Amino acid sequence: MTWDGFVDGLRAGVVWLMAVTSVPILVYFLIINLSYLLLIVLASLDFRADHRRRESEVTAFGGALTPGVSLLVPAYNEAAGIVVSVQALLSLRYPRHEVVVVDDGSTDGTFEQLLEAFDLVEVPRELPRDVPVRARVLDVHVPRDGRTRLVVVRKENSGRSEALNVGLNAATEPLVAMIDADSILEPDGLLRVTQPFTDDPTRVVAAGGAIRPVNGSRVVSGRIVDVRMPRQWLARVQVVEYLRAFLLGRTGWSRSGALILISGAFGIFRRDVVVEVGGLDPTSIGEDFELVLRIHRRMRDEGRDYRVAFVPEPVSWTEVPTTAAVLRNQRRRWHRGLWETLWAYRGMVRPRYGRVGLVALPYYWVFELFAPLLELFGIVVVPLALLLGVVDVPYAVLFLLLAYGLAVLVTLAAMAAEEWSFHRHDRWRDLGLTLLASVVENIGYRQLTVWWRLEGWWASLRGKKQVWGVMTRAGFEEPAP
Amino acid sequence: MLVLAPAVVLAACLGLVALIVGTKVLRTRRERRRAALLAPYRIDLLAVSAGEDDAGAHRARLAGADGASRPALDDAMTHLLAKVRGTPADHLAEVLHAHGAIDRAITDLHHPSAVRRARAAQLLGLCGAHQAVARLGEALQDQAPDVRTSAAHALGLVGDPAVAPRLLAAVGSSHRPIPAGPAADALEGMGVGISRALRDALEHPSPTVRTVAAQVSGDGAFTRSTPRLRELLATDPDLTVRETAAGALAHLGRREDVEVLARHTAADQPTPLRRTCTEALGRLGEPSAVPHLEPLLDDPDPRLAELAATALLCLGEPGRRALGDRGGAAADTARTLARLRAGEPIQSVGAGRAGDAAGPGDSGDAGHARAASRADHGSRA
Amino acid sequence: MVALPDGARVLVADDDADIRDLVEFKLTQAGYAVQAVGDGLSAWEAFEADQPALVVLDVMMPGLSGIDVLRKIRESGAPDVPVLLLSAKSRDSDVDTGFAVGATDYVVKPFSPRELLHRVNAILARTR
Repeated sequence: MTWDGFVDGLRAGVVWLMAVTSVPILVYFLIINLSYLLLIVLASLDFRADHRRRESEVTAFGGALTPGVSLLVPAYNEAAGIVVSVQALLSLRYPRHEVVVVDDGSTDGTFEQLLEAFDLVEVPRELPRDVPVRARVLDVHVPRDGRTRLVVVRKENSGRSEALNVGLNAATEPLVAMIDADSILEPDGLLRVTQPFTDDPTRVVAAGGAIRPVNGSRVVSGRIVDVRMPRQWLARVQVVEYLRAFLLGRTGWSRSGALILISGAFGIFRRDVVVEVGGLDPTSIGEDFELVLRIHRRMRDEGRDYRVAFVPEPVSWTEVPTTAAVLRNQRRRWHRGLWETLWAYRGMVRPRYGRVGLVALPYYWVFELFAPLLELFGIVVVPLALLLGVVDVPYAVLFLLLAYGLAVLVTLAAMAAEEWSFHRHDRWRDLGLTLLASVVENIGYRQLTVWWRLEGWWASLRGKKQVWGVMTRAGFEEPAP
Repeated sequence: MLVLAPAVVLAACLGLVALIVGTKVLRTRRERRRAALLAPYRIDLLAVSAGEDDAGAHRARLAGADGASRPALDDAMTHLLAKVRGTPADHLAEVLHAHGAIDRAITDLHHPSAVRRARAAQLLGLCGAHQAVARLGEALQDQAPDVRTSAAHALGLVGDPAVAPRLLAAVGSSHRPIPAGPAADALEGMGVGISRALRDALEHPSPTVRTVAAQVSGDGAFTRSTPRLRELLATDPDLTVRETAAGALAHLGRREDVEVLARHTAADQPTPLRRTCTEALGRLGEPSAVPHLEPLLDDPDPRLAELAATALLCLGEPGRRALGDRGGAAADTARTLARLRAGEPIQSVGAGRAGDAAGPGDSGDAGHARAASRADHGSRA
Repeated sequence: MVALPDGARVLVADDDADIRDLVEFKLTQAGYAVQAVGDGLSAWEAFEADQPALVVLDVMMPGLSGIDVLRKIRESGAPDVPVLLLSAKSRDSDVDTGFAVGATDYVVKPFSPRELLHRVNAILARTR
């Protein structure tokens, strides 16, 4: 076969492909970005209301209906920062809360650090089995002063989900929040994220709080004292990503009553509801996503009057990957989890599940799950078509516009909303960096995540076992003076 | 068309960038302008809000401030009012009254802008403007949610119990509700005059209203609510209401309430309710609860057993005797915790045990490596 | 009759500028030498740089909270410095935690400036 023959064949293939897909692809990108813009509008209305509320009211601290919260902290080999983390969690501003640390068989002295720092003493407590757990619970410790509301449970190593389920069993307050050991919560974060429960105590069953990347910010004694943009471009782009995803997607959905995805680093739930649906599923990679879907399904199956809410102002800060390798693993796993969960809950796409089943889930299927596939088309086929002369420049420009230009627009709209309401980043320089990052995101980063997401999806389809990567902590804690 | 489209998108992008930058600039300018207007009166504001104006000279200066500065001053004084109490608060309210701010606020409750309406409600609340109660009551039905909430908050500050029925009804309103938390807080500032309103609200069709009424009844020790609270605990269709009622009974109940609480520790009741009622029996402090708590010590639910043991320890000598030196995780833990709280020495056991219980391998898959702990957020781009 | 403050140094930390200015004004009028800062970290740094006779800390500050700073003070080389906490109306837990970590006294917001001054005077009179 000659080179010309090959090119002709390729051209014919591309011609056919373009004939079939050229318009639908443009429509797809138009819709996805318009839907984002719609969510932005919905979110902005929420922000304004929130903003005004903040301005016009004296924030009451923990009023009459403020429910108690159990903070569940699964910990595996967190010796480096566990004591500071737990200390910071214990001193959050909240009228009534406890911290439940579940040591998942750490081998680096995590428990010993806690034992010493908090002067722990063993108690012969038998934990309830509200949620079944496979691994064995070894012991339970509390601080010797008998007053500090900390409980440390040790169990055999069996993963984060089981650790959280053990924490759930050990929790004594009506609300539970699942917190990663290295996340940093804002001092008032709990007050804010429990507000939906206080405002509507009989209906709200779960609430999510926005996360932001902490990279680059200054942290002292487990508190963020100065919010700054990260130095590294990979992290900067993620700041923009998180801003857009959390502020818009979640708030927009929440307003329309169809919120399904609650971030893994900060979700707060009614304990009795989580127990009712059986706790976290240790076999699912989707973890928190899966839990929330299960809750939606259960509530609707039983015809209960319920709500899942979202609190847009950042509540929790976490370190994001700064190397491509770790980021890659993360994105593969997320997309794999998305696929497996959507597939497992495909039966929910029907009228009885209301807006969750008929609007939110199909949206996630088309615009989150299949998005990378369609983007791949843009990355590969369109340039190819251009090269082979199958499409003309105007089409290519139009495509670029709708796929990427609109995306930048969406991100800028997110930033406008943020500037309008929260203005966390005070420096002009940081604002400038964020603006730049929102453009840079579309040059290389986005394309990479497309590939990684597809990798994850493909791995799942091929039945490969999920391998958890290891991320060495960059460390942002100030050394003790 | 194909030239227009890129131009439109580009224009929109630039427009948004301008919006972002512009918002920041505007905000900065606005703050600076405000500071400039306030600067000449800074000392007067400080003196009055620090309570250093017995002679009234500073108040006089503020009252005589020129028209341009008044709105900024009124705003600043309103904010200060929220932070101080006592003589300074009275003095600040005096100046606001002299400026006509209170009358203006009453009018502003009908202003087209929701922000103005909400601010007006806030000011009226902080000044304790009794004359505005009726209007604030109407504002509970405002179309903007934050105006409604501000009104509820303001009514709590004013503290007039006559408006309690309206407040409770607003919680249960289907299309213009007010949030339960601020409503409960407002009610708790209104004193004993709300007793009747609470009792009526305990029968309201909305479970949210019943919850608020139950909570406030308990916190404020409204004993007249007790019969209805007992009914709610026993028969309300909503579990949250039942649990709130149990908590309220723990607060204000007496010997007669041991029976209803004990009944709901029975095995046929939902687990969270059983636990709440067991704990409530301890908080109630009635020794007659002891025979009801004893059998729970052997309950298959370990948490319930421990709560029962802890409750017994709260009931004085009869409770301690009933617990005796019975063994078992529940009793031992309750006793240990009580000793720790009392500051008694306990031998530290923990360290050695886990050594022999290494997990089934902390290799990749089932392991719990760092990426899992951090990157498990289900967040998507 | 309490002895005059005669320029005793008081460190005040509150992120709310109004309250900061107000407290500084009140205490200065009464004869104290006041240093006012706007966040926990600055409070800690100021404390380390030049130990005051008394510290007034707002509990609710972004970054390091009043309780965090209090803890650092108590764990530092000069743990006996009296600390007065300012906090929004609470349901006991702030108060409990505050005293557990070692607060000397506690004032709830909204507060009476006169009462605050009385307490500052009383604490310093006791510790002289």
